[in-house]
Amino acid sequence: MSFADFGLCHYASGFLAAFLAVSFLAAQDDAKTTNPASAAAQDSHTAPPPALIDAGRKLFQNSCSACHGPSGGGGHGPSLVEGDRIRSLSDAQLFQSIQKGVPGTDMPPSSFSEAQIQQVAAFVRSLSAPAIESTVPGDPEAGRSLFVGKAGCGSCHMIRGEGGFLGPDLSDAGVRLTLGQMRESLLQPDKRIANGFQGMTVVTQAGERIQGIAKNQDNYSVQLLDKQGRLHLLAKTDLKMIELSDHSLMPNDFGTRLSAGEIENILSYLSGQSVRQKETK
Amino acid sequence: MKQGVLLAVFAAVLGAQVSYDEILKGPAENWLTYSGDFASQRYSTLRQIDRGNVKSLVPQWIQHLDGARQLETTPLVFDGVMYVTNTNEVYALDAKTGRRIWHYRAVGVSENRVNRGVALLGDRLFFCTSDAHLVALQRTTGNVLWDRPYVFTKGGNFTTAAPLVANGLVVVGVGGGGSGRRGFVAALDAVTGEERWRFWTVPSKDDPAAKTWAAFPLDWGGAPTWTSGSFDPELNLLYWPSGNPWPDFYGADRPGDNLYSDCMLALDIATGKLRWYFQYTPHDTHDWDANEMPVLVDQFFQGRMRKLLIQANRNGFYYVLDRTNGEFLLAKRFVERLNWASGVDAKGRPIEVPHMEPTSGGNRACPSVRGATNWVSPSYNPETKMLYVVVLEQCDIYSSSSKPPKPMSGFHGTGAEQIADEPGHFFLRAIAAESGEMVWQFPMPGPATNWAGTLATAGGLVFSGDDGGDLVALDAKTGRDLWHFYMGHTLTASPMTYSVGGKQYVTIAAESDIVTFALFEPQKD
Repeated sequence: MSFADFGLCHYASGFLAAFLAVSFLAAQDDAKTTNPASAAAQDSHTAPPPALIDAGRKLFQNSCSACHGPSGGGGHGPSLVEGDRIRSLSDAQLFQSIQKGVPGTDMPPSSFSEAQIQQVAAFVRSLSAPAIESTVPGDPEAGRSLFVGKAGCGSCHMIRGEGGFLGPDLSDAGVRLTLGQMRESLLQPDKRIANGFQGMTVVTQAGERIQGIAKNQDNYSVQLLDKQGRLHLLAKTDLKMIELSDHSLMPNDFGTRLSAGEIENILSYLSGQSVRQKETK
Repeated sequence: MKQGVLLAVFAAVLGAQVSYDEILKGPAENWLTYSGDFASQRYSTLRQIDRGNVKSLVPQWIQHLDGARQLETTPLVFDGVMYVTNTNEVYALDAKTGRRIWHYRAVGVSENRVNRGVALLGDRLFFCTSDAHLVALQRTTGNVLWDRPYVFTKGGNFTTAAPLVANGLVVVGVGGGGSGRRGFVAALDAVTGEERWRFWTVPSKDDPAAKTWAAFPLDWGGAPTWTSGSFDPELNLLYWPSGNPWPDFYGADRPGDNLYSDCMLALDIATGKLRWYFQYTPHDTHDWDANEMPVLVDQFFQGRMRKLLIQANRNGFYYVLDRTNGEFLLAKRFVERLNWASGVDAKGRPIEVPHMEPTSGGNRACPSVRGATNWVSPSYNPETKMLYVVVLEQCDIYSSSSKPPKPMSGFHGTGAEQIADEPGHFFLRAIAAESGEMVWQFPMPGPATNWAGTLATAGGLVFSGDDGGDLVALDAKTGRDLWHFYMGHTLTASPMTYSVGGKQYVTIAAESDIVTFALFEPQKD
């Protein structure tokens, strides 16, 4: 079906919003809780020097990419880019994981020297470095104006209570996402579908039509957030039609509709978003 | 289309607000605050599951929380959505199916502690991060609205408790007494997160209560507030218990009663001013925090209807107070293994047995450092007028050190150790609220590692976890064992109950999972 009449988000361009799970989500929703005892380390590390990262990249591509993929995106082994798998490890824990492997998993011990482990760790760290640690050349204030104005992001995305709710909350975008993830989400929104934000239309046995985003669906139930912000907890036996969109609600024309400078401005604004850093002194 | 289906569909449409009036009603279909109601009775009026049919209770769903260990969360339920917590995380689940609706994890938190749950009001949900920030989330989406720190010192403080919403305020407590950090109760505005008041549980030097510490540095007195409290909306009084003074096991540097440690504090909800206090264990040197839930009951006491506050305290005595003014009415021991006091005097002060203090060589005292009971919630049934409390019979060897106390060094004044040939034993005991007499007990053979709370229902049942890892349902009047289900784990949380679409459910957190039960019904085709 067409989502032309959906009318959920009103982008200034009049772009016909197509649904897709927004990859911004990935970092929020796949947050498999890592070892709780280690999350304290999240803020303790600083960006490693580029030479160390480059040396680590070479070692990684020789020895680690068979499982984790050449760019760390995951394969047989888990992704080292998405979520907070790496970010939540302390330097000592990351070092030990590379040196000794991870017990109970297929991750084996390595034969790297200590210096090489430091290099690999620096590269792995860089894969998931949060955007707030990156230098983005744009103007964050101009980015904010675009976000709430011309680009129309705020009609679906919320930042600290202001904005819409049919896209992922971006209040912590700067600490949850890498700059690469942010850029990809903005320019190629259809590339990744994340859980909880896929467009869905259902028709109940009584004929009521409900459109919104699927927070979850399984063989027997649907949990749908409609455009008014109401949750519908439905048994599939109560539904006569279910349709999921394979497109994003996020417009996919930002690359042409916005200038390169405007895109950098938005990225600059988003990369600075952190609830704690904004509110805690 | 059958009408029943239509109704079911409309009933499942959510978006209503959690009104304050709804919270005041207490637990029925919904369970809207940590203890179910402000009185912390954990008594549900639901009666679909009762003594006659509880044998038909079967599992409905299990939601595994990734990375969770020893969950202590009490789920809240509003209009078919359940809210549960793990360390620095909140999950919204479909209460009928267990399916995940949203998940929020706080980023950049500097502590990792257990978490016991959330509070709800309007379209908001409140929870405390381990490093003592109050976070407000949009209830339907999990979007973060604000994140406010309420501790302004670095290190030492943490939070494990569920916040309590009362009179438009979100009330929070704090842990960290073991590091010497000064405890407090604080109230933040539910809309803006701004702090409205703060009551310090260790007085400032100008307060007459400071004399109870001699020359001890008051900034390091401890007396943390690491569990939630209760609230009387008619008296506008908040009842919040406080923990032990620091150093836990060495009291020579802090001669005196060490107010307001090990107290029940009655605070004016509007101002945070202390209306009255009652100290259970003056000058505590056994780490017997008073952080057990205060249960508010209105019932006859010695022929007169009274507003009571009852508490089974970690020091081994059950207490009855008049909650309007703090008057001491009754104390009675509820454990056999109690040797530090021969009784409680007419004013409520323990009559201490000499030479029970920790010593450098070790001194046997009872209850154990884990207490005769602890933070796990008791429940009260207004029909049976009994308090159902999980009890540990155990003694420990308490040792002390005269080393000068160093805050933030992990120093507790030494500690306590269990006695190898005196293993502890858990019981669930029913205590008559008026007399403090034990009416029945349910023994719990096992490794003495249990910490499950209790739930009372109008179905004449008490639910709890036993020391063997079973969720059990007992007859509230007699303690008769009516149903059990082995959960596969030591239970460290309190059960709760709710209803969706006319069907009653019972839920408990077990290790890393949220597990829900209901009466058996054949699957529909």
